[in-house]
Amino acid sequence: MKKTIPKGKSETKSQGAAKHASTRNGASREKYPTQTNPHGIPDYRLEIPNFRTVEEWVDGQFRYKVEGDLSAEPPPLRESKYLNKDQTIEIYRYMLLNRKMEQTLENLFKQQKVIGGVYLGLGQEGCSCASAYALGERDWIGPMIRNQGALLVRGFKPRDVMMQYMAKSGAPTGGRDAGSHFGDVHKRHIAAPISMLGDLIPVLSGVALGARLQGKNIACLTWIGDGGQSTGPTYEGFNFAAVQKLGVILIVENNLWAYSTPVDRQVACRDLADRAIGYGVPGAIVDGTDPNQVYDVSYEAAQRAYAGEGPTLIEAKMMRMRGHAMHDAAAYVPKQYIEYWTKRDPITRMEKYLLAKGWLTEKSSRELIDSVQREIDEDREIAEASPYPEGSTAAERVFCDNTVEIPFLYGGLKLRNIKKQRLAAVSDVAHFR
Amino acid sequence: MATYVEAIREGIWEEMERDPAVFCIGEDIGVYGGAFKVTEGFIHHFGSERVIDTPIAESAIVSAAFGASLTGMRPVAEFQFMDFISCAHNQIINMVAKANYRWNAPAPLVLRGPSGGGVSGGPFHSQNPETYYAHTPGLKVICPATARDAKGLIKAAIRDNNPCLFFEHKFLYRRIKEDLPTEDFTVEIGKARLHRDGRHVSVITYAAMVYVAQEAADILAKEGIELEILDLRTVAPLDKEAIANTVKKTNRVIILHEDTKTGGIAGEIAAIINELAFDDLDAPITRIASLDTPVPFSPPLEKFFLPKVEDVVREARRLRSY
Repeated sequence: MKKTIPKGKSETKSQGAAKHASTRNGASREKYPTQTNPHGIPDYRLEIPNFRTVEEWVDGQFRYKVEGDLSAEPPPLRESKYLNKDQTIEIYRYMLLNRKMEQTLENLFKQQKVIGGVYLGLGQEGCSCASAYALGERDWIGPMIRNQGALLVRGFKPRDVMMQYMAKSGAPTGGRDAGSHFGDVHKRHIAAPISMLGDLIPVLSGVALGARLQGKNIACLTWIGDGGQSTGPTYEGFNFAAVQKLGVILIVENNLWAYSTPVDRQVACRDLADRAIGYGVPGAIVDGTDPNQVYDVSYEAAQRAYAGEGPTLIEAKMMRMRGHAMHDAAAYVPKQYIEYWTKRDPITRMEKYLLAKGWLTEKSSRELIDSVQREIDEDREIAEASPYPEGSTAAERVFCDNTVEIPFLYGGLKLRNIKKQRLAAVSDVAHFR
Repeated sequence: MATYVEAIREGIWEEMERDPAVFCIGEDIGVYGGAFKVTEGFIHHFGSERVIDTPIAESAIVSAAFGASLTGMRPVAEFQFMDFISCAHNQIINMVAKANYRWNAPAPLVLRGPSGGGVSGGPFHSQNPETYYAHTPGLKVICPATARDAKGLIKAAIRDNNPCLFFEHKFLYRRIKEDLPTEDFTVEIGKARLHRDGRHVSVITYAAMVYVAQEAADILAKEGIELEILDLRTVAPLDKEAIANTVKKTNRVIILHEDTKTGGIAGEIAAIINELAFDDLDAPITRIASLDTPVPFSPPLEKFFLPKVEDVVREARRLRSY
């Protein structure tokens, strides 16, 4: 396969853990031991806050409040077992690109240049970008609305996302669908999401199945929220992957809020990673605002996928820092949450980490930010200049023409344990009446 | 001679031999060979990698088929009964049907299984859910009535670049048989078939109702009334030209289907006739369909529910003398 994604990425991530032995950056297991939760699921977080959302009535008004202590200062990032300096900086750049792209989308929204709503992944950029970065070229992702950073890591440009939101003809769907609802089969291997939640999980299982029928164990990364994981297709799809040992990596982004409903009203369990036990697959808990933790577990999950060991369920704990979409001021979120998670902003923490390690200087950091801003500004111009699609094109492409050749992505059928047999005459098949 | 069910099985088998992209996925299709034995013997020949038994999870089956199709495979997914297609409705109409339109992702997959009544299957093993899907742009909906068409159309569906829903009629599985061509053949999707030539009244129908119309035609022939029977074969896309042509020929038309009446495809066909052949009508368009009730279980109840030969005879006489 041609090397097409992602731009500027100097190596694929599929060569196995051994390669990384030499690139370890001094991570010390002793310094940050991994804990396990009460059900034995490894928890890589460096802080395990104890809080929950409860309800109260004040002056006849129903509202949510936080129960628990949220006064702690944020810990440093966990040292990555696998990432080197260049890779870490590249992830950081994608996170910046993600953030600045969404800031631009917000501006475009306020200027009424966006059709419909804008969905932001503020506070979740580290999770989207670092997990997608852990994949290799032939792997697939199935993004959710807050994983726009992952689209960038896989090779789409900020302009693509902007044009999607502005319903322009130059957008990947040419204005046929909105926002992050786009994909790319052949080049970037991205399955386009639909609005119904959890539905990409069985689809990504099928992609992994299709690849395996062609003799390739690939990793198929998809995300679901604490709300979306309540749906039936989540269970159906992930269970299918578990049964078939397909390399699906499911990151449950527990961002505490499903639109306005707190996670405490979504599930009765404390850690969504506990679900892994029921599926019979490995699970892990990470701090979703720590890109190093996210990368490491995603990387290890991808290695399991390549080895044919099946799916992995990762719970990334973080907080959705804005409303469900731009129209939602999220007034239902207790202020304490905002304060606590603002201190855990992934970009701030990552920058601090890079400066502390000496991998970035004040000067090179500013240059990086400026270069990202330039890219965003250029893309914004291109996106704004793109015309709307011609109305009459709405009638096109409901069906795929049968003259189109649909190629195998992974070289064609390659079975492993099937005895080759000559075609028996069809009439020889055991018949029945 | 091959029965309807054998014809379908031969069709899938031959396509799996011909094209390494084709594989089967569904519940109990492996060692058991499927609830109606459509895939009997497949697992021994093709192996468990290409004949995949799944958990009882229709949404996962459809999605996995779709996902595999994105990598260039051509899955044939079985619903144990087509009634269970409702469990995968969202995936079919939102994920699969819109994929090529939204993001240029063709979905060459076949979703097949037994539908239809007449076997006392009750409300959840007898339905004709085809019209839900005929209403959704991006899907092809196939309902064969003969063994030859069943084989030719399943092969065409497997070769098609679009999602094809293939509604087999379980009443026909082992009740009809015919000689099939020995050479490889397909039947074009979207083309109706003239089942019986006649001059006086047209019956536009499909699937098992073709035989109800045929029985009625035999009775009416003795009275000098010639029924023309048009077997649609596919409900989406509809063969508008064939529909218009038969109306232009006989000027009187009955639309007959086993699906319930309100919102059934007959209403759509009546509208097409109105658009294309209104001036050719000598009598009002007549619909004969099942009652607007769930499919009842007990034989006398189901018999009352389903369209009957005498319904067609009565309406044809009325139209003839209109």
